[in-house]
This record gives sequence, structure tokens and C-alpha cells, in this order.
Amino acid sequence: MVHSSVLLKQYHGGYVVLRLALAGHNQANRPFYRIVAAFNKRARDGKYIEQLGTYDPLPNIYNEKLVSFNYDRIKYWYGCGAHPTKSVAKLLGLAGFFPLHPMTVTGAERHRAQAAQMDASIIKDEEEEQG
Amino acid sequence: MMKTQQKAHKNTTKRFKNMATRAHSHDAKKPQFTDPAVQDVLSRITGLELQKVFRPIKRELKLPSYKLMTDEQLNQAINNASEQAKKLLQMPLVLPERKPIDDVLSEDPFLAGMDTAKYVFTDITYNVPHRLFKCFQKFGDVGERDRLVQVYFPKEGRKLTPYHIFKEENLKMVFSMDRHEDVLDLCLVQFEPDSSDYIKVHMSTYEDLDKHGKYDLLRSTRHFGGLAWYLVNARRVDGLIVDMLKRDLLQDAVSLVSLFHMVHPHSESAQEAALQQATGADLLKVRLGFPYNKSTYTIVFF
Repeated sequence: MVHSSVLLKQYHGGYVVLRLALAGHNQANRPFYRIVAAFNKRARDGKYIEQLGTYDPLPNIYNEKLVSFNYDRIKYWYGCGAHPTKSVAKLLGLAGFFPLHPMTVTGAERHRAQAAQMDASIIKDEEEEQG
Repeated sequence: MMKTQQKAHKNTTKRFKNMATRAHSHDAKKPQFTDPAVQDVLSRITGLELQKVFRPIKRELKLPSYKLMTDEQLNQAINNASEQAKKLLQMPLVLPERKPIDDVLSEDPFLAGMDTAKYVFTDITYNVPHRLFKCFQKFGDVGERDRLVQVYFPKEGRKLTPYHIFKEENLKMVFSMDRHEDVLDLCLVQFEPDSSDYIKVHMSTYEDLDKHGKYDLLRSTRHFGGLAWYLVNARRVDGLIVDMLKRDLLQDAVSLVSLFHMVHPHSESAQEAALQQATGADLLKVRLGFPYNKSTYTIVFF
């Protein structure tokens, strides 16, 4: 069955979105996301149309964040007029499927600036302690 | 400066086919493990001891079933059993070591400092399994790829971190207990046939067997062909030939020597044999006539 964006909009009054849905493990402080094609108006963790992948934001013992994509189905939903959210677009940009999201670069620059500032403040504190 | 590197890995079956054709083009005359002639010889040497193949192994308790059969039916049942034994004795592939594919798809220095962790992207499309992309990764290992394939496409019996038994010290202990077969079975389950760990474990097992002369442990198992192939390629068949002769397996020894001559047609004994057109026991005499690395044996031919 082919989902056409016009039909979807008329019938459901919304559009399909590719977003991160928290997988309901009911466990505090341990997030795990599913990359999901769902209707826009549905709850974030509610009923979705299809699961297209996973994203684990916490790094494992080898310091890796595991992300998986079902590119074939993502292509299909994108072709049916689905909109990706910012985080999904960033992940897909990093994977190489989409072009790089501009906020990824900005985020990296901000991180670096913050790290530099932290280093500078640490050095200042050390100098004050010595002097 | 952190680099962004991305690696693309192709489908496993395509890779195996490519490797086989490449190996074939290098030396087209040299027989490979998968040649029908070689496979025939190796399966003949392996033997078909039904008692050993179907020996009791640990499994769910089931009451034994007794059947009343005529002689014909008994023969039929034995034939069926040997058919199944042949299937069980199917030799696992012997492949050269897989090289890690290190395609740097893009390097973006302006992304440095974005995150402390690496991102690993996997493609979980249904009809193209085992594809992996990696980001923020400096050096990728084949072992890492195997681990991630196990995460997303799990195979029964495999663990994410390999068993401790495959470490050097533990292997020595296991070999002293004569459990080479179990180690090789475990290795088959855990590793891919062309990963370096698989090849290392197999090499150390075969070396140990060769050193102590315990060839009979692997006879009538699926690993015997691999052992014979390894020894033939390393040109150290003499211990195995002597062991076969001690157990009165003349035909096996003859086929082993013919296999050796097939694989190394330029060795001295092969050329001697070609000159004399030797077959059967004469072939053995030709082979044993040449100096070999173990201390000299005196073997009486009946």
C-alpha cells in the first residue's frame, strides 16, 4: 500500500514524521530511542506506523553510541513526504544519508569554545593557587 | 584533532565469492581447498566411524526407542545413518584472512570536539544484512565489525565478547586435557571463517596436535579435513603418514601422499613419483625415501 501525502493530509489531518520515540522500558535515567515513522499529532511514545531503527544515546564499554537505520524503508517514507525531526536529521547527516546538518557544525564549535574556556579557567585557578 | 572516518562494508557472500576468484587467478594451477578432487581426498581420509560420529553428547534426556527390524531394514537404517554422518562431517570452509576495509569516506576537521563517544551506524535493511558504517573512528578492526553484526543480527551460540577459552594460556590447558575437538567446535560457532581469531585458534590447535601426534582425536570429525589441508600446505605431513601406517590405514596414507603431490607439484618427491609413475604402496615408498624432519623410523612393508 502506497501512502500518498495528499491522502494522508486529507484523511488524518496531519503528516508523517520520522522522529525519536523513547522506548518504554520504564527505567529511570536510562534512555533508549527508536527511530520511528509516526503521525505528527500522535504522542511521542504512542502508536507509530513503522519502526525504522534505533539510537542508544549512552555510550557502551567501547565508548560507542550505536545507531541503526533501515535505509530502504527510510527512503520509502521520505518519498511519501515524511518530515524528519532535527535530531533524526542530525543523525542521518552524520551517517551520510543526508547532507550534514548545519547545527552539527555549530554544536561542535560551541563544544570546542566551551572546552577551551574550561581549560582557561582551570589554568587561571591553578595560577591563583600557586601565586 | 578528531577525524570523521566512515567505513563501508560489503555483503559477506559477495566478499567470499570475490576472494575465491581472486585466489584462483593468482595461481590457477594450485589446487584450492574447495576443489572437488581435494575435497574427495580429504573426506576419504576423514573416515566414517559411525560409533564416534554418533557418540552420546549432552542433550535433553529422551527415553531410548527400540525397533524390531529385518536384516534389510537394518541395512537401510545403517545406510541412512551413514548419510546423516556424512552431512555431520561436512568440512568448514578454510579461507584466507579477511583484510579490514578502511575506506575513509570523509574527513571533517570542523566536527572535532563534537562528542566524546564514537557513533556507529548500522544498516538494518532486510535484504542487505551485515552492512556497517562507522563515524569518528580512527582504526576499525575486523573484530569490532563482527561484534556489531552480532548485536544487530544475532547468531545462536555466539557471544559479544569471545570466550576466555580462546586465550593462549587457557588453550594450553585445554590441549593438555585432549579436548581439541570441543575447542574447534566452539571456535566455529563464535568466529567467522575468515577472521584472524578463527585462523589463529585453528593454527595453534593443529600445531599442538602435530607436536604430540594426537591425530586420532580428530579422525571422523569434521575438522580432520582442515587439519590435513593445513599440514599439507605447511609440508609437514610426515607425522600424519606415520600415524596412519601405525593404524594400518594404507589407503588413507596413499591418498594423503597423492594430495600432497597435487598441491606441491614441484617438490622432490612429487617429481620422483611422476618419473616412476608410482601408484599405491610404491608412492608411499617414494615419499618416505626422502629425508623428513622426525627421527628416522623403520617401517616394514608386508
